[in-house]
Amino acid sequence: MHIIVCIKQIIDPEIPADQFKLDPNSMRQLRGGLSLVISAYDQNALEVALQLREKVGGKVTALCLGESGAMGAIKSALGMGVDDGFLVSDQPLLESDPFGVAHVLAKAIQKIGVPDLVLTGCVSGDTGDKVMGPLLAEALGLPCVTFVSKVEVKDGKALVRRIVEDGYELVEAAFPLAVSIISDDSNVPRYSKLRDIMAAAKKQVPTWKAADLGLEGARVGVGAARLQVQDVSIPQRESKCEILDGETPEERAEGLALRLRELKVI
Amino acid sequence: MNFELTDAQRLIRDTVREFADKELAPLAAELDRLKRYPEKPLQRLAELGVLGMTVPPEYGGAGADTVSSCLALMEISRACASTGVAVSLHNTLTCEIIYRHGTEAQRRRYLPALCRGQILGAFSLTEPTSGSDAASLRTTATRRGEQYLLNGTKLFVTNGSRAGVIILFASTDLSRGDKGITAFLVEPSVPGFRIGKREEKMGLRASDTAELVLEDCQVPVENRIGEEGEGFKVALSSLVTGRAGIAAQAVGIAQACLEASVRYARERRQFGQPIAEFQAIQWKLANMATEIEAARLLTLRAAAQKDRGLPCTMEASMAKLFASEAANRAAADAVQIHGGYGYLQDFPVERYMRDARVLTIYEGTSEIHRLIIARQLLSPSPPPSPHPWGEGKGEGPQGGPEEGMGAWCVRGGGEP
Repeated sequence: MHIIVCIKQIIDPEIPADQFKLDPNSMRQLRGGLSLVISAYDQNALEVALQLREKVGGKVTALCLGESGAMGAIKSALGMGVDDGFLVSDQPLLESDPFGVAHVLAKAIQKIGVPDLVLTGCVSGDTGDKVMGPLLAEALGLPCVTFVSKVEVKDGKALVRRIVEDGYELVEAAFPLAVSIISDDSNVPRYSKLRDIMAAAKKQVPTWKAADLGLEGARVGVGAARLQVQDVSIPQRESKCEILDGETPEERAEGLALRLRELKVI
Repeated sequence: MNFELTDAQRLIRDTVREFADKELAPLAAELDRLKRYPEKPLQRLAELGVLGMTVPPEYGGAGADTVSSCLALMEISRACASTGVAVSLHNTLTCEIIYRHGTEAQRRRYLPALCRGQILGAFSLTEPTSGSDAASLRTTATRRGEQYLLNGTKLFVTNGSRAGVIILFASTDLSRGDKGITAFLVEPSVPGFRIGKREEKMGLRASDTAELVLEDCQVPVENRIGEEGEGFKVALSSLVTGRAGIAAQAVGIAQACLEASVRYARERRQFGQPIAEFQAIQWKLANMATEIEAARLLTLRAAAQKDRGLPCTMEASMAKLFASEAANRAAADAVQIHGGYGYLQDFPVERYMRDARVLTIYEGTSEIHRLIIARQLLSPSPPPSPHPWGEGKGEGPQGGPEEGMGAWCVRGGGEP
């Protein structure tokens, strides 16, 4: 079983909100010196892949499109225990829209060799897009199951647990396929073991540019973008405190309930 | 000059930080309050490979460098200083000595178990009448056939009542002073070994500090480290990594003080504004942050020197001296910034201040470290400086072992 997990490096969402800065020209977040991490659901995807490898054997590959510093994300994935990694890093490619990114990743996956399973996170941790799994499946001509928490193999087919409102669906699908991963208790990302980190640091990670993947400008980069961000802003949050009066706890609770209803919170 | 961490160092720091934030910090106050040894966290740290992390993989470790070891200790101590000292003693003294000075059989017997966390390690040099003047220890080891009989009392042994193996120093020839000291690997199951008083401490209350009583304690000859009389050299060589470890612990506690203070100063309002708006508070925070950064750099540089195989006795002393005193100043300022709340156990800075206090005392007092540094500076023939920027003679001298000082303050030397 060969699994490729597509990972994205993003600014750590845990940093204080006042450290987030936007570049008004590119309409992107400014990274300058901020802590960078693998997007949360991509970490769940890595965990799903590693668990599957532990059960059925095989190999897990991490693939990332990002700046040269995204090598850190590949190294983190190697530290978690993936077998190898590939980085696509070429400035013009980074300005692609999600269609362009899917095209780049599909080309890289074809160069590595289409695996049995392609995993992505179900939501991009910074832009909130939920499209990479389906777009990648489209580009590779693979069936796709989205919002999956667990993948098992039964009788040579994939049995995936797809999370839906108020429950889950068990979906059977033939390999190869693409799956987008959502988090649940079964795929909490593991800590890296120090020994794996030491091995990861020594591992060579191939880095590809557009030319290595035979990519043409018509499909990728800012010129080919079919989506354009018109405006971005950081929401201003205001906090207000209201003290409710009342003689007894019951009165205060009733007052609170009425006020919350008034504000349409309940 | 490159201040960047390597990929491995950064990943180790990030991994240990995540673990410490999620699994250690939430427990720290409770462990302190109940004086409960951090048994489970230590097991989890063993699973991650933090215990014995600098031991090469063939003996069960991760093969990490001293810089990584210090980074890990900073993160652990930032969350729980009691766990920090337990790991520090286990890694930087016990594992380090067995690996550097142990026989192949001793390495095979103890290191894999220490790295897996099946047993914990301890280091026992201090006695009731010998502290800074460590060479004046009175515990004796007398050879009887294939055994040594150890007699005496050892004090302030971190992990002492929890350890599966203790590196213990005793004199095989009292008349020879420090040249009569020999190092032994003592398992607590041997006849004649008894755990005495478990100390009640001001800080690091979740850590274990015990007295060890040796009454004709039988230690097999194969558990001697090195030759008879080489023990003091063994002790001093490892104290370099030990001191860097305690410096790292100090940086971790100080960092926790700073983070708690920044958080509190932003939230606490007086006179109609957050107290962070007042210059009196800002200056405290700025001083804290500057000293912490200096302490961190001194610590990591001592560790980097060690990793490059260069002498680092003075660097380790400077790091330990400065970081431990900076941590105490940071803790005092953190309590001051918190005002009355800082004096309560409801806020963590009260614990940080108690935990920080011992830093200027153990692993060589501040006074001893000033002596070590001064004697290096005043050495009549200092060897060339290892500092890339200190080219003149006498800048950053490093010496060989000094004869006859008979204390912790033996300069240079001892490096394996």
